[in-house]
Formats: sequence, structure tokens, C-alpha cells
Amino acid sequence: MFGHRLGFSGGITLPRHEPRSGELRIRQMAFAPELHLPLRQHAGRAAVAAVRPGNEVARGQLLAGGDHELSLPLHSPATGRVVNIVEQPDQHGGSVSVIRLAPFPGDTQEYHDERGLDPVSISAGRLLDAICAAGIVGQGGEGRPTHAGLRASAGRGVEMLVLNGIEEEPAFSLVPAILRAHRDDLVMGVRYLLKATGAARAVLAVEQHDGEAARALVTAVAPGLSMTLRVLPARYPQGAEALLLRILADRTASGDGRSGDAVCVNLVTAAEVGRLLAHGQCVTDQVIALAGTAVREPGNYRVPLGTPVRFVLEQAGLRAAPVRVLQGGLMRGQALASLDLPITKGVTGLIALGPDEAGVPEPPLPCIRCGDCVDACPMQLHPAQLGMLARKSEFKSMHEEYDLDSCFECGCCDYVCPSRIPLVQLFRAAKAQWRRHQPVAAGESAS
Amino acid sequence: MPPPSTLRLAAAPHRHGGHTVRRLMLHMVIALLPATVFAGALFGLAALATIGVAILACLLAERLCAPRSALGDGSALLTGLLLGLSLPPAVPLWMAAVGGFVAIVVGKQLFGGLGGPAFHPALVGRIFLQAAFPAAMSQGWIAPFAVGRATQLPGTSMAVPFMSPSAAYDSFSGATPLAAAKLGDGVAPLADLWLGTVAGSTGETSAVLLLLGGLYLVGVRAVDWRIPVAMLASVAALYAVLHGLEPARHPDVLTAFGSGGLMLGAWFFATAPGCAPMTRSGKWIYGLAIGALVVVIRQFSGQPEGVMYALLLGSALTPHFDRWTQPRPLGWRASR
Repeated sequence: MFGHRLGFSGGITLPRHEPRSGELRIRQMAFAPELHLPLRQHAGRAAVAAVRPGNEVARGQLLAGGDHELSLPLHSPATGRVVNIVEQPDQHGGSVSVIRLAPFPGDTQEYHDERGLDPVSISAGRLLDAICAAGIVGQGGEGRPTHAGLRASAGRGVEMLVLNGIEEEPAFSLVPAILRAHRDDLVMGVRYLLKATGAARAVLAVEQHDGEAARALVTAVAPGLSMTLRVLPARYPQGAEALLLRILADRTASGDGRSGDAVCVNLVTAAEVGRLLAHGQCVTDQVIALAGTAVREPGNYRVPLGTPVRFVLEQAGLRAAPVRVLQGGLMRGQALASLDLPITKGVTGLIALGPDEAGVPEPPLPCIRCGDCVDACPMQLHPAQLGMLARKSEFKSMHEEYDLDSCFECGCCDYVCPSRIPLVQLFRAAKAQWRRHQPVAAGESAS
Repeated sequence: MPPPSTLRLAAAPHRHGGHTVRRLMLHMVIALLPATVFAGALFGLAALATIGVAILACLLAERLCAPRSALGDGSALLTGLLLGLSLPPAVPLWMAAVGGFVAIVVGKQLFGGLGGPAFHPALVGRIFLQAAFPAAMSQGWIAPFAVGRATQLPGTSMAVPFMSPSAAYDSFSGATPLAAAKLGDGVAPLADLWLGTVAGSTGETSAVLLLLGGLYLVGVRAVDWRIPVAMLASVAALYAVLHGLEPARHPDVLTAFGSGGLMLGAWFFATAPGCAPMTRSGKWIYGLAIGALVVVIRQFSGQPEGVMYALLLGSALTPHFDRWTQPRPLGWRASR
């Protein structure tokens, strides 16, 4: 019914937060006394450290190199001294090698503006190498290296570049900030990306509330850049790549969402590509949104890589002691176990929930088989059935009969469940259990 | 303010839509209030006593079978209210109590409690009483606005268990429109049928008030509109055809809508989660099937009313409707 109008059925409408004018730009955050830089900041392989404790490094200098298509170089976010390289806990409960860097005070922190790349004369291959060398990670997804996805689609010959301007989380306002305050970066990024992928045209996809800003940008774009606009009614989780491509191309996207003749790049990533490549720079900081009732000044910040979450919260000011701090949005974000974890590439935002927002939920009731989750699932799965199978540990049936692998944990089923059954949590556990019993497929990289 | 030293962990999503079982049950009860109040005005003390006893019996049975916290979800309250509303107003009160116990113990708890029942517990209680006490269940009617209804109970209400009531079916009694039509005693005026100023089960008579309650439920998204709409559409379509073919034997659509337990069944019984399929297309089929069964039972069987049995059969088929309409995962098979 509505499915045809939206391009997908299911999903939910989330309450929206109207950004104040102060949130429509990106503020620079100061350097923390010590920066913690994990050698692996994205899906793929860890980089190999190229510095030793005691070395003095300049801002933008290579700290660790990638030695694989799926590992990215890491550059120094600040001019300073390497304190040491240690194993530290990561947010998933594992551990990771971390370079600890002490930035030198203030005025030495200049980042030299190198000669930028010319999007007209450069070859697609060199452009992809440059994107890789800059260490760029795709925002708003699973944090995959940007160049890898682009290279795959360039080899396939894509027709359309989709700029994903769907806000990951309604409490964030990254998209309007980019559309208003960083137009030049974005347009430049689109030029680079079109060249790198060989796509003939770009489509900017935004939701209703960003339609006006996006229209202003598309009309202002210089001639010669083929960019059109698609304004979609706000609906979570249409920003997920597989769904967005399906909506725009009106065809069934396969599991990875990359097949067919379109490639999807996040709006923030595109603006970063434009900003960095035009100045010959590398990724040294991360644009994040900050939200939640515990934060005094919510908004968008450009944060040096490796800044501890605690420092970010202190800089933005706290209104109340946060009860729960999330990395990412309310629907998919991860609750952090420690405020000492650093901001890494691919972190799109932090939400500091106050006591009013992070209460202890009521214990779940049995499933009443209302079917609300079946309606809400954007992947047309059967969450109620999957939940029942999960409780019986029927992992094989969940995967082979009910296609649990398609679930990308958007959380819609949990959101609508009147019995408050933690379905996503059950699914995540089931996936982990199932994976443990599966032989690792040949050629699959360890991640 | 300094950041805290301890953080509370939880798995995503960190937000809930606010639609809970308790709210669902509460909305149902609210939606039934107009019909309940109207029943009190129309049938008097007997109706209120029937409803009250049914509710108390359900709550007591729930308390005996399940932990105390189970009362908090409101489902036993709703079951009792629905049972009371579906019983004849002058039914012996002890039968209403038995019905309440059967509804909760047999209809709900033996199926595993909340979320378990395959059939609506209130319906199970109602059908048990119909089977066990057919005479009382088909005679306990009260004429609308009977004199003295506000101050005295009919003799049947206070009947002693398993004794035949002495002053049975006194001045209060009146035949229901469907029974009258079945016996060829003519049809009640349409306005009376819709407003509910006719004899009938305690809360089923006023189609208008039940329809309002149903629209409220759809408005607050407590029920899926597809089920009642499908059910009423199939009833309307079949009656339109039957009435067109044989106007003398079959009533027209508006009469059919206004009589019996159709509205109560369509908005409050058929929509109960667990008894209805989970998929959208399953809900359409389920509603259409129940509607068709209602018409078949009403017009072609010995029973004057068929909503109850139609609901029962519909729920029995629910697993099949669910199986036929399994959602197909997006990109499933296409990618393999």
C-alpha cells in the first residue's frame, strides 16, 4: 500500500528533533592532552605502526601504514610526540593496539595546505589511490574503507552515484550542516567521486526536512555537474544503503546493496573527500554529532582523531551526569562501557542520555503475536518467528529458512514491540552463535 | 558537571515507541466504556451485575493462576469486560462467574497465559456457557428500558446454581431482533438496531457506540484496521447479494450490521492479537473468512447468531493464514 510510494514497506516514523541555528554548522574541537589512536579504526585489517615511542610527528604525518586493500593508513591528528604504543580495550570488549600521542601546545598545529588534485585531469585509478592514501572511511555504515567500495563499483561500471543524505539519527543534524555550511566541499567531493567511479550522474537523496537546503544546493551547483535531487518522506531506516538504492532504483537490492548500476556514498563522506583531496590532506579528525539531554551544547563538532569521549563531553559541557553514552544513534548505537574510549574514523555521533532518557526498561512480556514487528521490518523478515526460534536456539532454521543474515539490526521490531522483547539482542546473539559453528569461507578476510 | 564514573549499559535500540501490552489493553477498555455505560442505562442493574461478576471472576482466576504482576497488564480485566458484555444481561450471575473462570483458566492459562491462547479467552468462556447452559443463555434477555431495571434484578440473575429459577423470565424479558427475524416475527426498526434500543447481549446492542469505540482503537493504533474492515466488507458484500436475490428471507446490509454481536465481534474480538494472523495479507484473509462465516451461520443454520462461532473458526484457521502469507525477505532467493 504505502510500500510502493516509499519504495520499501515497513519501517517506522521516529520523532524528529528540529535543529537550532547553532547546530547548523561544524565547530572545531580543541586537542585533548593525550590522543589514543587505535591501529584499526574500520572494518578490515589493522594498519602497521610506522612510528616508535618517543618519535616526534607532524600533523598529517603517516603513523601507521595499510598493507592490504582493506586496511587504511593512519595519519597523525596533531603535531606532537608518540608516548607509547599499548594494547587497550576496544568498545567491543576485545583489545586493540593503540598509539598514544601527546600533542604539542596550540600554535604549532598548522596543517600545511598542499596542492590539491584536479578532478578533471586526474585518472580514476590515481584518484582511488589518493582516497585510500588519505585514509578515508565511509560514514554512517559499518565503517568500510571508502576506496574499496568505489573501486568495486568502478570495475563494474556504475551509472549512478547516490549521495546518501538521510540522517542516521533524527537527533543529529549533520546533513543540514553539510548542505548549508560545506557546500563547496560537497560539490568538490561529488566531482571527485563521479570521476573515481565513472558514474554519469549523481543523485542527492535527502528527507523532507532537508529538502529546502538540498534544493538550494542543487540549483546553485555549477553547470557541467549532473546532479539531481530526490526528496523522500522521512522514514527510518531508509538511509540504509540496501534500502536507499532500492528506493532510488526501484528494484530489489541484493544483500550487499551494492549490486546493480548504482553506488552509494554518505553525504558526510563525500564532503570529506572534497575537502581533503582539494587540499592534498589526509584524515586527521572526525566530524561527529553530539546529542542527548545530558549535553549542554548539542551540535556538530570536528574532533581530532583519538580524542577520548570524556574530553568531548567536557568540552561540549554537561547539563547533567549522563547515565548512558551511545556511540551512534538511538536505534543502532552502542552503549559505551568507558568514557576513555577514543573517537575513531566512522564514529558519526555521540548521544549522552540523562536520567530521564535512560531508565531501566520493564521486563519483557511473552510475545502476544500481534504482528507489529512483521509490519515494521523493512527487510520483510518475520521478527516474531525469529524471536521464538532464538529462544529455542534454532539458529540453523533462523538463518536458512528465515534469512536472519538479511537483518541489519535497525531495531524497528524492538521499537514497536508491545511486549518489549529485546529482539535485536536475541538476533545478534543468534548470529554470533551461528557464525561460531560455520567454517570460515575461503578468501574471507579476518576482520 | 563532571562526567560520571559509572555508565549504564544496554543493547540497542535505546528507544521504544511506547506502545505496550498494558496500553493496548487499556485502550480496549476505554473503547468499550461507552457501550458499557449504555448497557447499564438500557438493561439496568442486571447488566452491570453481569459485567461486574464476569470481571471479578476473571481477575480472581488470573490471580490464582499467575503471578500478581500479571494482573497489571490489564488483559484479565479486558477478558472479563468482554465476557460480561457478550452475555445476556439477565443470565444467572453464578454462570457469569463460571464463565469468567473458564475463560481465564481454560481459555488462557492452560494455553500458557498471555500470548498463548489460540482462541479469544472471553470467547471460550462465552461458548462454554452456551454449550453448558443453552436455555439460560438463550433466554436471559431483557427488554430495552424495562420498568424497574434500575432498582431490581430479574429473578434469573440471582438463581441458585443448578436449580431452575422459579420466577424465571418475568416481565423483563424480550426477544432479540435476530431471534425474532429467525422465527419470522418481523424486523426491528433500523434506528433501534443501530442505536441499540433492542434486546440483546449486554454490550452488543449499540452498533453506533461500538463503531465509535472501534474507530477510537484504530485512531490510537491499538488494533489493525484491516481485520474489522475486511470482516465488515465481506459481511456487507454477501448480504448485498443475498438480499438482492431474496429480499424476503435475507435482511439488507444496514440491518445486518446493526443486529447481533457483529460490531462487538469485528472491532473487539477479531482484532485480539494472538487470535488473528500476524501478516497484513493474513489479516485480510482472516477478516474476510470470518465475515463470510457469520453470514453463512446466520442465514443458513439453525442458530440465530453466528459471530461467536465464526470467530472461533477464524482463529482456528489463523495458523494456516499465517503460513500461507509468510513474508518474503527482501532480496531473498534473488541474491542466491
